Amino acid sequence: MKDRSNWLTAAAVSVFVIATGTFMFGKMTMNIKSADIRRDASGGIGKALQSYSAECIAGRKGWISAGSMISDAIRGNTVNGVYVSDNRLIDADISKRGSSAGCAGSINGFAGWYDGAVYIAAVPTSSGVYGDTVPSYIMKTTEKQQIDSFYSQLDTSIRRIDAYNILKMMSDEHIYFSSDTKWTMYGAYCVYRTVIQKLGFQPVSYDKYNIRHVTGEYRGDLYSRTLYMKCEPDILDIYEYPEGTKVTSCVSYSNDGKVSVCSLYDTDALGSEDMYDLYLGGEKPLVRIRTDVNNDRRLLVIGSRCAASFVPFLTQHYSEIAVISPEAMNKPITSLLEPNDYEQTLFLIGIDSVESENFKFIEMRELS
Amino acid sequence: MEYSSLFFIYCFLPVSLLLYYCVPNKLKDMSLLLMSMAFCGLAGLPYLAYVMVFTLVNYTCARHIYILSSKKDGRYKLIPMAAGMVFNIAGLFILRMDCFAWIRHSVRLPEGFFPVGVSLFTLSATGYLIDVYSGKYKADKNFVRFALYIMMFPRLLMGPVLRYDIFKRILRTRRIGFQEIGKGAAVFIKGLAKKVIAADTLYSMYSSVDSINVSDLSAGTAWMGISAYILCLYFTLSGIADMGVGIGYCFGFSFPQSFNYPLFSSRIRYFASRWHLQVIHWFRKYITRSFSARFKNRYVRKMIYVAAWTLAGFWYGFDAGSALWGALMGISIVIEKRLSNSKMLKATGIIYTFLLTTVFAVFLSCDSLKDSFRYIFAMLGGNHALADMQTLYLMKSYLVLLIIMMYASTDLFRNILIRSGRSRIKAAINAAAPAVGLLVLIICTALIAYSGSSDMILLRL
Repeated sequence: MKDRSNWLTAAAVSVFVIATGTFMFGKMTMNIKSADIRRDASGGIGKALQSYSAECIAGRKGWISAGSMISDAIRGNTVNGVYVSDNRLIDADISKRGSSAGCAGSINGFAGWYDGAVYIAAVPTSSGVYGDTVPSYIMKTTEKQQIDSFYSQLDTSIRRIDAYNILKMMSDEHIYFSSDTKWTMYGAYCVYRTVIQKLGFQPVSYDKYNIRHVTGEYRGDLYSRTLYMKCEPDILDIYEYPEGTKVTSCVSYSNDGKVSVCSLYDTDALGSEDMYDLYLGGEKPLVRIRTDVNNDRRLLVIGSRCAASFVPFLTQHYSEIAVISPEAMNKPITSLLEPNDYEQTLFLIGIDSVESENFKFIEMRELS
Repeated sequence: MEYSSLFFIYCFLPVSLLLYYCVPNKLKDMSLLLMSMAFCGLAGLPYLAYVMVFTLVNYTCARHIYILSSKKDGRYKLIPMAAGMVFNIAGLFILRMDCFAWIRHSVRLPEGFFPVGVSLFTLSATGYLIDVYSGKYKADKNFVRFALYIMMFPRLLMGPVLRYDIFKRILRTRRIGFQEIGKGAAVFIKGLAKKVIAADTLYSMYSSVDSINVSDLSAGTAWMGISAYILCLYFTLSGIADMGVGIGYCFGFSFPQSFNYPLFSSRIRYFASRWHLQVIHWFRKYITRSFSARFKNRYVRKMIYVAAWTLAGFWYGFDAGSALWGALMGISIVIEKRLSNSKMLKATGIIYTFLLTTVFAVFLSCDSLKDSFRYIFAMLGGNHALADMQTLYLMKSYLVLLIIMMYASTDLFRNILIRSGRSRIKAAINAAAPAVGLLVLIICTALIAYSGSSDMILLRL
């Protein structure tokens, strides 16, 4: 009886392992890029293969979704480092973020040689605003502390804007997606009202905008981490100001200098894997926007992903806006544009992205 | 690389088994060695280089000990013996102790480099050198077999630490077949479940308590935290050990189990004889017995016994807290032997053993001795609170789980199976075993599908 049981176990497990393994191995060998593995291989090539194999398992979404349900049942409210509350998902792994010293140093370096005025708004994620709903033993630090520490490392000439308290005060409103770390367009608008006054303009009042819901099926980065089915999808909005100024051109530049036409709202992205690319068409090293505002004011925005939904509000005030995404860059900023052509620079940086090494490109100047 | 990773379970293990089963018998050891080298190489080339150099040095030293001991003036065998011992022990200290980080930097080892299993294969190799030196057996000429003794991947991460003659016998008496794969798969899945389901869940409970400042801990929270720690430690170590044993079965080797349900033993000494069996046995054989034989005074012998336990504790963590854990275990066993007839001890056996081993575990879990004493102070209610909201929250979230895990860490279920004899219950369990095994494998796969692996936690040996 025991022998038959062993035989059956061997047969069942072998069939399952071989079927799963063949698919995984096939997908890994087809898609693998040695550069990706090299980049990830700090803990040994095996470590990189371990995480890469997770992306190649057949029916990955189904596995993660099932894992989330099992984890929820046996481990309580935390799934893959995401806290599952009654009405939203919150990143509980914020204590694992890297140091902000490199980013702060690069911004200081930039401010050192830049001739214009530099402003910065460090934007909290949903963990910063709703973190107090998570038990303290799960959320071991706060984003407020991280923002304060980041600001304390910046040069005194850089003008700081307190986005955290603005958003905290508005926390009852729909300022963050329930399944994403990023803010909604309304959250961006709340911060815009303060930022634009610091930059020397009066904000456009909220009631002048026509707000259009373009989809009710948005699921953000926290959903991708958990595939937690009980989380309701969110609405993505577009803010339009019919009586306002118009965008005359919107052009994006890749690292190799390729130019393509883009728009403030790329509705084609609604059919893509990441619907947040609706705003400015996703991350690109440089997007240059020209408007029919006749004041010859030019603004340089250097920002992380959350900046994309903020930029449409700025178009009402400047004749030209250049948006730089450090995450998408691989060479110095001066190879894309001359920052000193812009009299103001606004850093709009998600506090979850300050650990990125790409900020080093901001302070670098290409030798002419 | 972890055993509990998708890449290992679904790519590395099936490919290595396929290769092993396809090659002729005389090449099986060589194929297994190549797969073991690949396993080490995947953990990083510095790791592979270290293991290869380690193997070569120990092989050479053992051969020279043997050759010199067979000559007329055998005292020169002390030279290769000393060289091998110094190399092994220095390597272990340099790689495991923070105070030697400057040496690691100076030889340009990558940041955070740690050859997993180094503590275990160092024990194996050191024991081998001592045995060859004392003439228990010859130094093996077969380099492939010796290299397998050091780096065979099924026993690389968690042992078992075996004597070389026992290892050779296991190699000689291997039984290859589809049924062995079934037996191995069942043991592997049991280990995987211990690690992925039990240990990782308990770890989230332990880390919840660990994140609270010790001076704010109520007694209830502190007890729940340290109970989660000891259970988590047990399920992690025994889970990885079971996975290794299961892989061994698949390759036809019957490695012994390393843990025999120690947690709810009725005496501390039973706990000690069931916890990491081969490691504790190694210290008893090579330290306690070797030194005790030279002294007749029983108090000196007791001191040697405690010192061996202290060394075993130090081997776990390479810090003062771990050494103190070992010393306390040794002292408790010595005292317990004196009180073995006490009625009090008989009545409270399981409870007092669990309480003591749990309190001792504080020294393994905390970063410093000061923190350990502060934690014990909190466990005794020294922070002026027996329970608080945190305790209630933890009880609400984890109490049922904790009780289930406590039950799972005992041998009660196994005893039911044994006592059921040839009854229908046993037949039903055997019939359901393949489906249950597959289901558990699917659950574990789902739980690690996001990250790709379940990493080693709490201790790195």
